[in-house]
Amino acid sequence: MSGVIEDEILQMYIQESKEHLEDIETDLLEIEQQGENVDEDLINKVFRAAHSIKGGAGFLDLTNIKELAHKIENILDLVRNGQMIPNQDIVNTVLEAFDYLGELLNNAVDSNAKDISEHIEKLTGLTVSSLPEAEKESVSNLVDVSHKKVPVSFSLTEFDLKNGRQGGKLIYIFEFDLIKDMERQGKTPFDLLKLLEDGGNILDLIVSMEAVGDLDDEEISPRLPMYVLYSTIIEPDLVGSVFGLSDTCIYLIPADHESMESSEDHAEEETSEVIEEASPSLPAKMPPPPEKAAPKPSPRPDKKKTIKSVVSQTDTLRVSVGVLDQLMNRAGELVLARNQLIQSISTGDKQIIAAAGQRIDLVTSELQETIMQTRMQPVGNIFNKFPRIVRDMAKNLGKDMELELEGQGVELDKTIIESLGDPLTHLVRNSADHGIESPAARKEKGKNQTGRILLRALHESGQVIIEIHDDGKGLDPEKIAEKAVSKGLISEDEVKTMSAKEKVNLIMLPGLSTAEQVTDVSGRGVGMDVVKTNLDKLGGQVEIISQLDKGTVIRIKLPLTLAIIACLLVSSANERYAIPQVNVGELIQVPAAEVREKIEKVGDAEVLILRGELIPLMQLGNVLQLQNTFYNPRTGTYEVDRRHQLVDERILTDTEKTSDKRENTDEELTTAERRESYASDVKIVVVQAGIHKYGLVVDKLHDTVEIVVKPLGRHLNKFEIYAGATIMGDGHVALILDISGLARAANLRTMAETDRAKQIAAAETQAKEGTSRQTLLMFHNGPDEYCAVPLHMVLRVEQIKSSDIEFKGGKKVIQYRGGSLPIYALEEVANVEALEDREDLIVIVFIVAGHEVGLLAVPPLDVVEADLKIDEETLRQPGISGSTIIRDETTLMIDVFDFMKELNPQWFESGTEENGLSAETSKTAGNCSDVLLVEDSQFFRDQVRNFIETEGYAVFEAEDGIEALQVLDEHIARIGLVVTDLEMPNMDGFELTSRIRKNERFTHLPVLALTSLAGEEDVTRGREAGIDDYQIKLDKENLIKGIHKMLHQG
Amino acid sequence: METDKQHPDRGSDFIQLSCFYLQDTFCGLDINIVQEINEDLQITKVPLSQDYVIGIMNLRGQIVTVVDQSRKIGFEPSVISEDSRVIIVNSQNEHIGLLVDRVTEVLTISTKDIADAPSNIEGAQGKFFKGVVHTAKNEILALLDVEAVLTEDHGNDK
Repeated sequence: MSGVIEDEILQMYIQESKEHLEDIETDLLEIEQQGENVDEDLINKVFRAAHSIKGGAGFLDLTNIKELAHKIENILDLVRNGQMIPNQDIVNTVLEAFDYLGELLNNAVDSNAKDISEHIEKLTGLTVSSLPEAEKESVSNLVDVSHKKVPVSFSLTEFDLKNGRQGGKLIYIFEFDLIKDMERQGKTPFDLLKLLEDGGNILDLIVSMEAVGDLDDEEISPRLPMYVLYSTIIEPDLVGSVFGLSDTCIYLIPADHESMESSEDHAEEETSEVIEEASPSLPAKMPPPPEKAAPKPSPRPDKKKTIKSVVSQTDTLRVSVGVLDQLMNRAGELVLARNQLIQSISTGDKQIIAAAGQRIDLVTSELQETIMQTRMQPVGNIFNKFPRIVRDMAKNLGKDMELELEGQGVELDKTIIESLGDPLTHLVRNSADHGIESPAARKEKGKNQTGRILLRALHESGQVIIEIHDDGKGLDPEKIAEKAVSKGLISEDEVKTMSAKEKVNLIMLPGLSTAEQVTDVSGRGVGMDVVKTNLDKLGGQVEIISQLDKGTVIRIKLPLTLAIIACLLVSSANERYAIPQVNVGELIQVPAAEVREKIEKVGDAEVLILRGELIPLMQLGNVLQLQNTFYNPRTGTYEVDRRHQLVDERILTDTEKTSDKRENTDEELTTAERRESYASDVKIVVVQAGIHKYGLVVDKLHDTVEIVVKPLGRHLNKFEIYAGATIMGDGHVALILDISGLARAANLRTMAETDRAKQIAAAETQAKEGTSRQTLLMFHNGPDEYCAVPLHMVLRVEQIKSSDIEFKGGKKVIQYRGGSLPIYALEEVANVEALEDREDLIVIVFIVAGHEVGLLAVPPLDVVEADLKIDEETLRQPGISGSTIIRDETTLMIDVFDFMKELNPQWFESGTEENGLSAETSKTAGNCSDVLLVEDSQFFRDQVRNFIETEGYAVFEAEDGIEALQVLDEHIARIGLVVTDLEMPNMDGFELTSRIRKNERFTHLPVLALTSLAGEEDVTRGREAGIDDYQIKLDKENLIKGIHKMLHQG
Repeated sequence: METDKQHPDRGSDFIQLSCFYLQDTFCGLDINIVQEINEDLQITKVPLSQDYVIGIMNLRGQIVTVVDQSRKIGFEPSVISEDSRVIIVNSQNEHIGLLVDRVTEVLTISTKDIADAPSNIEGAQGKFFKGVVHTAKNEILALLDVEAVLTEDHGNDK
């Protein structure tokens, strides 16, 4: 037999079977819900699916599939006849069996080797249990049905046979010749099977290979008989014409011959045929069905191998005929337009040519749209599997939840649909597993016990949105932020400036999974980042909106199609590259004159300062290792490397030298000169993909165009830096860059740059806000002497000339804000080098013990963020608290309090009088005038405590709200004021305040909140909680004033 | 079919070879896998690709990878000149371009004339040749094994 026919048929069968299986889940679940009042149409639909699968499998000799489908069919039949009421167990078993059926179908060729006994047993068990006692045996008893003139015999269970006869049906054996009746008439076996199914029930069928003979045989028989055991109500005299069979091919099986039961006494018309009884008197136990395949021709296994290779390669798509017709129309129009064009070109009439051009333009875009349509598939295809998933999860997790689907009809490109399955499954599972609470917890929260998950698709401004809503516990932004910090993914300071929404979206950072315990269902240590990466690949964007205890909405924006995308064209080293528009944030052209201000060098890396944000820059040419075009300050020319040269250089033998030289010249350019090389405008594309955001420096920016994405060949498609290639209007090819791949390719350098840039950005913003505990103001004292003070201590920085310094009464002063500011040099106290003698100096203004003082320093000033690992021994001396290494330089840490104490000890003794706080006040400590300072960061706590203690108050410290309450509990008698940070682990400032207010013993205490940014929202929230006053964290002056005011009121 | 196990190609009597030069080596490919020979050498470089990949080109709307055969085999890299051509072959359901330095004629040879590649072709290079043919013009023609030339694993990622 020709293998090709079988391959085609097998594929058709598999495809059709899969289509049958598609809706089964949904249908079965509905059947389960309907229970007793099951909708017959629905059952019939599922039944038919199982039935068709069985029929085809029999034809193709897929015994396992046939067997399994058959058992399913039995159950469904019982349900249909009302003999069995579908409950969860039954539906579960059937679902599992269908699942396994799907698996078998995926590898149909090898399916006969799989073990299906588990499912068979379960299904048989169900069948048996629903039957009356007397009939139970019939399920396992096998009978053989055969006919004298038919060379094959059918083996089936008594139960099936009985079912076949139900309602006065007749049982026939038909003999079809697959070659004569089918192939020559252009029919497929499936047409036949369909016809048969419409008229009755196929109980079994056998294709007789023996009749064909072997290839070695002298004569090849032109027959391929297929025997069908068939049950129908059609009378013998009609059967032939209905199925197009001659009477010689129809054999009627009389009712009494195989029946052991006298009750089965059907009134049968007599038959001249003699029936052989296979199991003469007693229903003998027959060998299990799979062994029926044994007498089949032996060369089978070899043949199957060849089938396999063919099967795995095909990928087909169903397209509606309407779309195909449309396509045909468009193609017709295109031909007309072409004719018009050719004609007009020959006549040379420009006007008609232009018209034809327009028409072709129009038709092409219509054609393109229609072709797109053929690729469009409804999202329902993937949505439909979720009811089952959610149902199973609900069962496993002991939760009560339901899934609603909306917008299944929304269509998306086939490729997107296919790749969307996994991320969506992950998200839905997340919602079900982590989102929806247990019924008890929901009840406690006053929610409906049944959790609700809504999966919906909708169109929005040319994109498709898919949303997953759940009304579960929501995501806790603080928890996520905390985790991100603890894993070192972001810094605590970054967290402070983040909105709740931003914090929630941190969940998509790689390496952050919030599942506290890894459950079997979801969260196998793979987090949302995988989802995000997958969606990124599709050009999708994810957004999470979550409200604690209300629920979570995950919103995915997807392009309709991936085949045609909008791209920005850029060029570097004279080659054009396309950047997908979705990745393009903005385009920036830095004019030559502003290059120095806007582009900074951090180590070897360059960063762009964009509205306060630092964006790492990447030269496209460098990443791709192209010879960059650059401005050579020596020759004053703009050197452009032509492509030919590049090719030449790669090939010529002596090019090594040439390129070496080039590199050398490149290296010889000092940093300063490199900056010169920015003498022309710098064009930057700010791109964003996933976690990467960076600026791509290119030579030229071109247009945005719609391009058709073409895949790269097998030698190139493993490069993650390219998403494919496209053909430009001029026929040239341009590569499409994969923005996140590009970032990864440049990993070592760019990631370091990013981190560095982040640090700097953080330092900058902190410098503005003055909140950092790690931000230092660096300056020089002696020529090579690096000094630093914590930036938050600094009140102001003044630039002065050395001539501005006046000597008054043995003291150095400068005029400052209409008064005199005493200034000191470090050498007056500490044993350091003398202040460098130079024209321009800097005065750093501090407030110490209520006095404004200035410290003389030498530029350059710099603000750095550093881990303060202070060596408190080696260089410790008066005025200097120790040393630390910053940017590879030993840096002296100036202790301004100590410094001033050395110079003006009297300030610290009689101290605070000038501030209006009498010494007695501070000595009456113990009389409700101590301060409780609640702050989670050690360094910061030390600083604030310093301020407060300097003012003469005793300070209690606590790290968070919980500890603060303990301290209050013990020392309430002495505490007169609570100064608290707002953002803290365990218990934050708001919570602490409301607890204080609720506690009778503490409620009188004034609460002053320290904040980095007193946003309106925070203030309102704070007032509600009972916070009396706000102070910016290191605004020392006001902080102290605030403390005074409160303590004195108190 | 299997008259000689080492050279299954010898089964049919005559085969046609599309012949060309890689540097000074006269080579031939079974014409059945050759789709066309292309004169248009508008090749777009693919930065960071393996060194034997010259780039990609547009073959009537299809992106085709162009491979420098010489380099892959281990000769000196080809230099693109007036005579350079790209032979488009079918390999594993994909069109791939092979850069050659000069194309010559189509030769019909008898499979009986195919001899083993000379033993002094080093092992590494030897795997790219199916054998050699002594032509009527007294030239030695090397029969290239295209699939061996187009394996992706070999090559230095830069």
